[in-house]
Amino acid sequence: MTTWNQSLIARYGGPGPRYTSYPPATHFHEEVTEDDFRQAIATGNAARRPLSLYVHIPFCDTVCYYCACNRVVTANKTRANAYLSLLKKEIAQRAALVDQRRPVTQLHWGGGTPTFLSDAQMTELVYALARHFNLREDDRGDYAIEIDPRTVDQARLGLLRGLGFNRISLGVQDLDPRVQQAVNRVQPYELIRQTMAWSRDFGFKSINTDLIYGLPWQSESSLARTLEQLIELRPERISLYNYAHLPTRFKVQRQIPEMALPSPEEKLAMFTRAGRMLQSAGYVFIGMDHFALQSDEMAVAQRNGLLHRNFQGYTLHGDADLLGFGVSAISQIGNLYSQNLKSLAQWSDAMSEEASPIEQGYLLDRDDQMRRDLIMRLLCDLHVDMDLFSKQWQINFPDYFIDALAEWVEFENQGLVRVDQQTLVITDQGRLVSRALVMPFDRYTAAASRDRFSRII
Amino acid sequence: MAHHVSCNDCSLSPICLPLAVAPAQLDELDRIIHRGRPLKRGEHLFRAADDFQAVYAVRSGSLKTYVLSDEGDEQVTGFYLPGEVLGMDGISTAHHVSNAKALETATVCEIPFSKLEMLSQKIPSLQHHFFSLMSNEIRSDRELHMLLSKKNADDRVASLLLSMSARHQRRGLSERAFRLPMSRYDIANYLGLAVETVSRIFTRFQNNQWLRVEGRDVEILDRGSLCGERQNLEASL
Repeated sequence: MTTWNQSLIARYGGPGPRYTSYPPATHFHEEVTEDDFRQAIATGNAARRPLSLYVHIPFCDTVCYYCACNRVVTANKTRANAYLSLLKKEIAQRAALVDQRRPVTQLHWGGGTPTFLSDAQMTELVYALARHFNLREDDRGDYAIEIDPRTVDQARLGLLRGLGFNRISLGVQDLDPRVQQAVNRVQPYELIRQTMAWSRDFGFKSINTDLIYGLPWQSESSLARTLEQLIELRPERISLYNYAHLPTRFKVQRQIPEMALPSPEEKLAMFTRAGRMLQSAGYVFIGMDHFALQSDEMAVAQRNGLLHRNFQGYTLHGDADLLGFGVSAISQIGNLYSQNLKSLAQWSDAMSEEASPIEQGYLLDRDDQMRRDLIMRLLCDLHVDMDLFSKQWQINFPDYFIDALAEWVEFENQGLVRVDQQTLVITDQGRLVSRALVMPFDRYTAAASRDRFSRII
Repeated sequence: MAHHVSCNDCSLSPICLPLAVAPAQLDELDRIIHRGRPLKRGEHLFRAADDFQAVYAVRSGSLKTYVLSDEGDEQVTGFYLPGEVLGMDGISTAHHVSNAKALETATVCEIPFSKLEMLSQKIPSLQHHFFSLMSNEIRSDRELHMLLSKKNADDRVASLLLSMSARHQRRGLSERAFRLPMSRYDIANYLGLAVETVSRIFTRFQNNQWLRVEGRDVEILDRGSLCGERQNLEASL
């Protein structure tokens, strides 16, 4: 059981990569080409790895002031038609490279707002995917869609279930009306409750809800009230994201009244209180910003060492090649990361000319792959057997990671990790700050993090 | 072909596929459509495992779709009235998964799917309409699932009556008084109820003065109460 120790989070909870990729996306560069992409797909074909498909729908009806996503706010629904026909081109273009027998074990629609699309457009998009890829018909894949509760009613949820989605992720953010108004996302509790009830009736098997802490007018007690209400609805998973106020980078965040933002100390108190509340309500802290009910597949997978981490956060399908479709979408195929053009205009031009949509990416060398494996295993399983790892990667672990292990001695003294014989273990206490604990193994961030820790410790 | 009808002079065109097609292009749609001989009552339009070649728009009469369980029991999955499109169950698997049988003498327009797809490339609004038909189909299928798992017998029967009423209204017919094309047996099977239960509920609705029923002819007297049944239940979910 994790002890929600506020001073520990204060010490190690500082900025750092979220490790949805390794190296982090900030290290992507433009030398990655269409040929690299094709080569990576061919390797995946030979291994018959399963597929995970991500589709990015960039449009939103309204603007949420905290947003830092790649999205286009428009009331013009016809823009979705043009986008959809280009998406269908990309799907066909990419599918032509892929062995049709590879099963799609995971599907995720994100945004923007996927439900910006009309019923017919969503049906058309599923049809296009089903036509070109081997979607599972037995409801055993993880097929998820992000939902803005303001854009669905009972009938739409029925359609989504009928189209084969079996998981939803609801953008809740906060239930306090004052906070909702300040971020321009007003969605009453009753709407969330009703959406969840309908989803359950239709047999969606797992509901995730996203919350954000650090929003204007939020306080420790207002967030606690939001959590009380949400816990009562028992979503299987809860993600609690930190709001980063960067108004110079994300213009829309200038709409947020800065005087109403909670202080760093208040934010820390919020996260700690939230962790304690969720834990006593039966949620397991998976790591980073994720919580799941003890009985949820994600918590079970973590206990069984089957959890992975990629651009979709923690996932049960880390063995799959991730193909991203649409503007700014990221693919992860074997030792390649590639990201599509981030500007809608540029991506659209590329697709209309049937050119490559790739803007940047990263090709991992052996050292990168090994470090990725190690970091992800530590973040997901919370332990790694050094002997096995050495055999697998044909290295001598203590020699190879001598500097990182030196830093781990400090962590061990504080009870955050244990180095038992041949096993590296992140303790329950260490889990709270796991990303700081894996940073010494990160070749790109290690130096910077060492500076920071020498300052702190 | 024996029946010289075209989409141009079909009274169903405002609710059927032509609604998505500009008058100038209607002939192109019309050219791909086959209009065969009428189906007699009990005759099959397609059977499960038949190759999926076409979708069908009902021109007159009505059909039901059903699947057979492993034990060979029939489970009714849908009723199709004029202007409605059936056969889309085959799109993803390339063969039909259900059977379609005429409930009474019926005529259908057969729309070969490969040709429809080609035409849709030229007429985006037709494609869009086709996908909205598909979404309606998927939606009502799921709502039926939910109806069967959640609602009590009264609500199930009320839902079906209200659905039939709405579909008659869509064709410009009376939403109040209409004829049910299917037997009590089919209604019971579709709603997952015993035939006696369905008959008992019809009688109760009549006694409450919500309905007048004579054989298959139905007249809705108190729509509010029929709807109210459903709303109460939704509120209690």
